[in-house]
Amino acid sequence: MKMFVCIDDTDNYDSIGTGELLENMMGEAAIKGLSKAGFTVRYQLYIHDDIPYTSHNSSMCCSAETGDREVFTEFCEKYLEENSADGSDPGLCILTDDSSFDYSALIEFGKRAQCEVLTKSDAYKAAEGFGDGLHLSEHGGTGGGIIGALAGAALRAGKEEGRIKGKIQPLPNKSEWTLSEFASVFGVQRFIDEDGNEITDNLSIRFVHPTKLLYSKGLITGVIVNENGQFMPKPKIKKNKEKKQ
Amino acid sequence: MTDWIKENGRSIFRGGRNSFADAVRIAEECGLFSEDCEDELVCDDEVSCYNCRYRRWTEKSFECIKR
Repeated sequence: MKMFVCIDDTDNYDSIGTGELLENMMGEAAIKGLSKAGFTVRYQLYIHDDIPYTSHNSSMCCSAETGDREVFTEFCEKYLEENSADGSDPGLCILTDDSSFDYSALIEFGKRAQCEVLTKSDAYKAAEGFGDGLHLSEHGGTGGGIIGALAGAALRAGKEEGRIKGKIQPLPNKSEWTLSEFASVFGVQRFIDEDGNEITDNLSIRFVHPTKLLYSKGLITGVIVNENGQFMPKPKIKKNKEKKQ
Repeated sequence: MTDWIKENGRSIFRGGRNSFADAVRIAEECGLFSEDCEDELVCDDEVSCYNCRYRRWTEKSFECIKR
């Protein structure tokens, strides 16, 4: 059975982040033979003083497959209770990945979580009607993490754009690539420019800086920039333009 | 002028989200800088308040939770 797994509000300022905890949880589940995880997508949720996020209010959601959802769910619940940071408010969402599902009510909730302050009751209301297709549970503190957990799973189910966790490193002995080579080696399914326009030409690119991939339109997407006439994958982080002046 | 605006007991960075040089200077002088996880780094200076796990983003800037 395919599913989306999302956790939120599991950290404090001195603990590992929620994304790392999710990867650890899914790694342990894989070792136990409970599931096999795909990649993780980071979604930025609303930044507002009334939301008790730790530092950036992002939500991490991975795709996964399991043979026994009940056992997998019990494992995740126990894992969160044993491994979430002191003072955190963990929430868990496991949402069935089924193309026949109508996720529209959930997607609307996810989009609202990116621009307004929501409550736990908003989350439970949005989750109504999904029955066994959706598991939503609180695991300590206020349990407010269910809001971000549901939002992350919903946005992922809706193929909304987010950043894929982790980065791609250049290879030591190869800097010149074509897009088709890059796609084949790193599993990229689509390329866009910085304005979001699709790139269909098999451009020659120079890959010398780490880059991050996007999840966009349901596909693993690389962003290609043109710097002084040279095409390249968009460098991972913002350049400090002030210092270069 | 101080780098911080005091708001209800919180210290909000006066420079907003794009004062890279100031964020580096403060972090280098701070002694409490601790790099956030890779997915939350935002600039190519390793030591910068913008990359610190103790910054809490606000709509227009960030709060330093160690001040």
